[in-house]
Amino acid sequence: MGINKNLLYAFFYLAEILYNGVIMRISLKNKILIAIIGVLVILSLNFFQKEVKNIFYLISSPIQKGLWQIGERVSNFFETISEIKNLKKENKELKLKIQELLAENAALKELKKENKILRRALDIGLEKEFKLALAEVIGKNISQDSLIINRGFEDGISKGMPVITEQKTLVGKISQVYKNFSEVELSSNKNSSFDAKILNSDIQGIVKGKGNLKLFLEFIPQKKEIKEGASVVTTALGGIFPESLLVGEIKEIKKSDIKPFQQAEIEPAFDLEEIETLFIITNF
Amino acid sequence: MRKIFFLIIFFYILVLFQTSFLIYFPFGWQFDWIIILISIIFINLLERPKNYLGYLSAIIGGFFLDIFSKNFIGFHILILMSFTIFIKFILKKYISLPIWRNILETKK
Repeated sequence: MGINKNLLYAFFYLAEILYNGVIMRISLKNKILIAIIGVLVILSLNFFQKEVKNIFYLISSPIQKGLWQIGERVSNFFETISEIKNLKKENKELKLKIQELLAENAALKELKKENKILRRALDIGLEKEFKLALAEVIGKNISQDSLIINRGFEDGISKGMPVITEQKTLVGKISQVYKNFSEVELSSNKNSSFDAKILNSDIQGIVKGKGNLKLFLEFIPQKKEIKEGASVVTTALGGIFPESLLVGEIKEIKKSDIKPFQQAEIEPAFDLEEIETLFIITNF
Repeated sequence: MRKIFFLIIFFYILVLFQTSFLIYFPFGWQFDWIIILISIIFINLLERPKNYLGYLSAIIGGFFLDIFSKNFIGFHILILMSFTIFIKFILKKYISLPIWRNILETKK
């Protein structure tokens, strides 16, 4: 360290001599000599380069740190100003991308849901019994006991095709077909009428819709005994629906001595509020 | 002596400013010794060609540049000294700037 200090002193001393104009008074020969000595002194500092630089870095580091921080802030400030235009553009692009991704995400969620339903349907074995088409409910008209689904004649849908849920529950049949959409007449619709029977018995009757999600099993002989809670399923009679589709459960039995037949109110097996996807039986 | 001290402080701050502050700006890191060079050119233009403040500036400025760079000590001194000699030679032989020359002289 002592040597370094001496070298620095020598350097400054030489500089002072130069400044005071001593060189001006000395001859050219001596000027060259002083220049050579100066060059040697400077170059000799390279032998202790690490030490010399270390001293300066040690002294300068706090100032440098401060300047770095200020420089960074100022640079960031100007960068932000110059980037505002780009940021606006980027922001716009990102917003668009978010919209795209949200739409994609929604579509994927729908697919996931559809996949889940199809898997469930596969577990039940619906695809083995019938030829099915999946449809989504896009409109519900409870007062008229009808639904609108997103499948039309372009998808091979035609009037009269049965509509069921993934649990093999009867919902209704196709009443009107459009190009890409169809109307489903619920089994509770006033115009709906089909053959059905009580599960695990020989009691048969006709299910008639009464509107407002009400169903009745009619034309049951008085002699036959029906239990509340019994399941009602379709029969193949009439060819409207395939057999063994769940219609609902017996809710209330209405018997009258003056009438030749007894009547039973059925609680529909489907929950209209929860229905989002349906299967259309295209062939049975 | 006061002028040497002033030059040392001036170039030290300038080099620190150059190596710590201006590196954040595109022109700063592309021309890392341009401010020192400009300063030395100005000093040479403002003093009489026969004076030695320009040489001293080249030595001090170059020294600090060398300290804060990866080059060996003397590298920038030689470059700046070459510039100074060239400017002084041109000024001495071909150009006369009487008003400018007096600016630094009046401070004496």
